[in-house]
Amino acid sequence: MDEIQRRAFMKGAAIGALAFTIGDADVMLTPRQARAQRVPFRTLTADQAVTLDAMGEALVPGAKDAGISNFVDQQVSIPAEDALLEARILNVRPPYANFYRAAVGAIDGASQAKYAGRNFAQLAAAEQHDFIDLMRQNKLENWKGPGAGFVYFLLRSDAVDVVYGTMDGYSHLGVPYQPHIAPTRSW
Amino acid sequence: MAANTDMATNEKVDVVIVGAGASGSVFAAVLAKAGKKVVLLESGPDWQPSDLISSDFWGRRLKPAGPPFLLEGKNPYGYVYQAGWGTGGAALHYFANFPRLLPNDFKVKSTHGKGLDWPIDYADIAPFWDKVADDVGVSGDAKAEEVWRPAGKPYPMPPMRTFGGGDVWKKGFGALGMRLSPAAVGINSRPFKGRPACLYDGWCHVGCPIGALANPLVTYLGEARQAGAEVRPHATVTRVLTSADGGKATGVEYYDAGKQKQVQEANVVVLAAWSAQNPRLMLNSATDKHANGLANSSGLVGKYLTAHFASGTSAMFEEDLQPYMGTIAAQYFSYDLYDKNAHKDQGAFGSTFMVAGAAQRYSALGGVANARPDLFGAELAAFMKRAARGYTRLTAFAEEMPVIENRIELASDKDEFGMPLGKITHAFNDDAVALFNANFDKGVEIAKATGAKDVWPNRGPMPTIHLMGGTIMGKSAADSVTNSYGQTHEIANLWIAGPGIFPTSGAPNPTYTILALSLRGAENLVANWRAVAG
Repeated sequence: MDEIQRRAFMKGAAIGALAFTIGDADVMLTPRQARAQRVPFRTLTADQAVTLDAMGEALVPGAKDAGISNFVDQQVSIPAEDALLEARILNVRPPYANFYRAAVGAIDGASQAKYAGRNFAQLAAAEQHDFIDLMRQNKLENWKGPGAGFVYFLLRSDAVDVVYGTMDGYSHLGVPYQPHIAPTRSW
Repeated sequence: MAANTDMATNEKVDVVIVGAGASGSVFAAVLAKAGKKVVLLESGPDWQPSDLISSDFWGRRLKPAGPPFLLEGKNPYGYVYQAGWGTGGAALHYFANFPRLLPNDFKVKSTHGKGLDWPIDYADIAPFWDKVADDVGVSGDAKAEEVWRPAGKPYPMPPMRTFGGGDVWKKGFGALGMRLSPAAVGINSRPFKGRPACLYDGWCHVGCPIGALANPLVTYLGEARQAGAEVRPHATVTRVLTSADGGKATGVEYYDAGKQKQVQEANVVVLAAWSAQNPRLMLNSATDKHANGLANSSGLVGKYLTAHFASGTSAMFEEDLQPYMGTIAAQYFSYDLYDKNAHKDQGAFGSTFMVAGAAQRYSALGGVANARPDLFGAELAAFMKRAARGYTRLTAFAEEMPVIENRIELASDKDEFGMPLGKITHAFNDDAVALFNANFDKGVEIAKATGAKDVWPNRGPMPTIHLMGGTIMGKSAADSVTNSYGQTHEIANLWIAGPGIFPTSGAPNPTYTILALSLRGAENLVANWRAVAG
């Protein structure tokens, strides 16, 4: 069997996508589709999602539309042993929702202290850039939560995941994905 | 969910093996083929090849999801990335680099006054490296490696194909008078024993579903099952049980998928869980006859943990290297800095093992995006576009010397079954830190000699890679936990398998040596069955 045939053979065995809840039904969507369809959040609040979207987009352009907040919300709403988050790899202790709540709280708290009561999402692009640059170096004042540098690294990883870790992301970079078993729906 | 404390007892078997990863699978295969009734208890799922989706997201399901280990010390041991969960263990998602230790690894204490000695030498393991190569399939060029090591058998398959991301390093090494050899890898360069050749798609680290990579599902664990071994997934072992006089292991206590407490009696118990989990189990199995835990009169259970660390060097080329092609294993490796004193002038001690040309992925912990973790926003996007076809990396793995302070012990916090959590305390000493830094300098020197457009060291927190030690082998109960076969000195029918028995780590990836030592141990157990099992 040649290589192309073998790849095609394996592709049929795929499982994948993430289960989002719309009404009483679980549907399989990518985070990008979940965002586009305004799937309600299960664990994050709307305000937390706004901050996460803004931070994700500032870290990795494209993360907001790629559904970073829907991805994180879905992942912190399922059992930790099923989670696909980088937090799992970086020794964050479950439940992961606690980490994200604390991280978002620390971001907005430090932003409010530095920028006259404004949350991170309300900052101008240049202000967001300066804020992140201090955050990654653990140099933000009034930071209260998990280590700022660690939060930077982990949220950046999440944003990289949804932008570059997908089949669409590889396509955007101009490199072939070449799966043995393809995740469904480009995920 | 509260654990059910009602207990069910299963029919007694010859051998119960705790953990269905690399080492447990070898023991299971050898013992089952010898006609023994074998049960493997695995805390995670029973993965199938069809579960191995080509995605960095989905690959995370193969990583630990049980109760956490608490991490302390100056360099906390980050274990999840490299540990396993479920059948195949860490070897379901390993990189399949198959380097071996070298003769200078076995008598470090006697030769240099640092670290520990092994009770055996290179020549004792060499036949088993060769046997493993024939069993699972190794591709490489043994002759080319003989500039660094004693001669052995040729590998059963020729080296893998190479690509631009590996080939560019030949110029850099050559300019410095350093040697590179085609890497020995546990991946098929051509069909082997009914398994297909590799497609060079670069998804090895999330599991190879086609069986081109020698993971346990398609090698020893598959053979064990074929020979009648039973695997019980989602079976969490909490204690090793011992006889009233403390002289024998009688089986294990575990919780099944339904949280039902069970007992599995056996003539022989093999602990093949993990370098940290095996000591946790032994310490949690204390009785009035073994007040400090099993096989622990020396107090050494959980001690002398060692980790590898790596100094990565990045290089960016204008040319299209096709860095996404190949395998996550190396294309080339070098032992030219393997002398323990290779970096003595920089205050360093320990061996270095260099690998080049791993296929690149673009997200996740080891992905291209983390080659410049300081970049974000538009700068990161521009970097990613450029790196997509021009990026490659050289990695220098190195060893730390074992010290008794690097250890695992029981914590006061408990898991859902009432078992104390494990606490890992770890710090690198000055020798290791100096070696880490020296390898960045050397890596940059090599990278600059390749003619790359940009070169930079991937400096960051000193990483902990692989976990070895904790139940070290030695000559007697006074200085160690097991003998060179993994048999504990104090309880003849309690055996330890895996890298936990390494007294020192050397610098190379450990799995090839884990398999070889496990094969050596399992064959010894079969040969001495009557004396051991009673």
